[in-house]
Amino acid sequence: MRPAAARQRYEKTVMGWLPLANILHHKLRSALSALGIGIAVCMLITLAGLSRGSLFEIAQRWESVDADLIVLPRGWGDNASDKSGAALADRYANKITEELPKLVRRVVPVFTWQMKLAGQDQMATGVEPDQWDALSGGRTIGQGRLFDPRGDYGRWIRAKLLTGGTGDGEVIEITEQDLSDPAHNGLELVIDTRLAEAGGYQLGQTVFVANHHWRIVGIVPAGAMSRVFLPRATAQYLFGNGDMTRSTLMFVKLAEGVDPGPAVGAVAKLTGQDVVAVTRYRGMLMEKFGIMFVYVDAVNAVAMIIAFLFIMITLYTMVLQRTREIAILKCAGASNLFLARQIAAESLILSGAGTVAGVGMSFLAARAIQAFRPLLTVTITWEWIAVAVAVALVGAMASAVYPAWKAGRVDVAEALAFE
Amino acid sequence: MSRRPLPLSSDGENIVVASGIEKSFGRGSGRIHVLRGLDLTVRKGEFLAVMGPSGCGKTTLLHVLGLVTPQDAGGVFLNDRQVPMTEAARNALRRKHIGLVFQRFNLINVLSAADNVAIWLRVRGLPADGRVQPLLEAVGIPHLARRKPSQMSVGEQQRVAVARAVAHDPDLLLADEPTGSLDSGNATALLELLRNLNRQRGQSIVMITHSPEAAAFADRVVHMKDGRLLP
Repeated sequence: MRPAAARQRYEKTVMGWLPLANILHHKLRSALSALGIGIAVCMLITLAGLSRGSLFEIAQRWESVDADLIVLPRGWGDNASDKSGAALADRYANKITEELPKLVRRVVPVFTWQMKLAGQDQMATGVEPDQWDALSGGRTIGQGRLFDPRGDYGRWIRAKLLTGGTGDGEVIEITEQDLSDPAHNGLELVIDTRLAEAGGYQLGQTVFVANHHWRIVGIVPAGAMSRVFLPRATAQYLFGNGDMTRSTLMFVKLAEGVDPGPAVGAVAKLTGQDVVAVTRYRGMLMEKFGIMFVYVDAVNAVAMIIAFLFIMITLYTMVLQRTREIAILKCAGASNLFLARQIAAESLILSGAGTVAGVGMSFLAARAIQAFRPLLTVTITWEWIAVAVAVALVGAMASAVYPAWKAGRVDVAEALAFE
Repeated sequence: MSRRPLPLSSDGENIVVASGIEKSFGRGSGRIHVLRGLDLTVRKGEFLAVMGPSGCGKTTLLHVLGLVTPQDAGGVFLNDRQVPMTEAARNALRRKHIGLVFQRFNLINVLSAADNVAIWLRVRGLPADGRVQPLLEAVGIPHLARRKPSQMSVGEQQRVAVARAVAHDPDLLLADEPTGSLDSGNATALLELLRNLNRQRGQSIVMITHSPEAAAFADRVVHMKDGRLLP
């Protein structure tokens, strides 16, 4: 564009330039106002991404199991997302496969328990080695191998517990040395890559957790049902009071073409237990932790309100400081609408700059969170960015209303009386 | 509104006529009568100076003539037409016919000299393209177009204020002690500028001043005291 043309365009936009010029004239104050909006926008996007991201990541992991239904102990119903321990008799697994052969292809009982690794509780899942493929959704161990690959430990512990005593009340004593005997490898763990990264765990490393020394024998790519896996028999013995006949829940894979809806009823009727579709697990999590979203959204709302109050105070202060300038513009014939537009434009520019900064900050925050706390998932979605932008736009306009009204009420004669 | 008969329409040679203007501020016992039945006629193309002691009502008179402040009583005629009392109508008339220059310039600090003039035009709905630079040339500061007020001397700022005030080619230019903040050199230059505008463009000017030297540049000088013009 030629200088003359650029100049003409510049002159045409001089009224649009005034709000920007005012903002640039008060750089620090404007920067702080925009930063306030930026922090609020960043909080909105990051907290939403963190709360929902972490929860949805868990749901995705459960949905990765090659199964259609989950059988839960009766009464757990929709509140099964944080349960663990020996709660469901293993005999149901056989009963389901034997009595519903046309409906069910496979049943995978698992024993879940909390184990503290990388500084926080992890849901550890005990599974039979030969059912690993189904549970992991076909994931192969990236490094190392699966625990108890030949099933030696399972056979040993069950034989020990079922035949090791005399049957007249003798206590069967199994020591840690027995469990970790190289002959049957009972105290072995497979962890996922994110847990390995978070805890700095290496293949072959021994960790002390749940009062025992475990050896990490495999690392699986993240995305499998839980972050920690162990032999189900070990979990049953250590965390189920030695009861080798009970697990926590069961995953049921239906036969090809079977509608999960009617199958839920059939399995529930057969077992008398609660049965839900795997896809229902996400909803269960949401119901269980949905209140967290209310808190997060409430915190976000407060942050946004504070940020926009800050903008409003900035604009209001600007109106007070520029009473004479406003009077001069009114002298020139500026209407209240013109003044309101100027103030709204300033608010929009501040909020726009703050929103852009806030979106950028949220991506940085997500990276920082995942760098320092690799087990947390921050999922930044375009939906929440759009929500943040919309909130910022509406907030900017709302913040401008009172200062604009105040500007419209500036008394020209009074403002100029200080001559 | 009027307590006294207003003057009949003149010969069309008056730019503004104020008749029986009364204006007071405050209420009750604190009420101050600033203008007390003031009459004033300004002819087209006239450069009129209004002098008087502080507090005699000069600025209030200027605000009434500039349609910034409505009078309590009396009437103002602009181009032989009575000015209505509605704010919208007064705004419209002020926007079209009146230019104002203040003692302290009142430029917008964040805008350049050119933009201070341009926004004055744009607010009035007039195009600024190609009109700003000639105005700055007319007041002798074409080279300061990109400067902001803080980068200019007080004399230069007042020239920008004059350029801004006459940008829309008003019928009446009202100047409230325009030399009050200037040193004698800048004051003389500004007064010569106003006189040139008056002589060369036929610009009607009413100037408030304390200074007899400034008043000497005007065609006619009137004196105020206690809210009235002295005979």
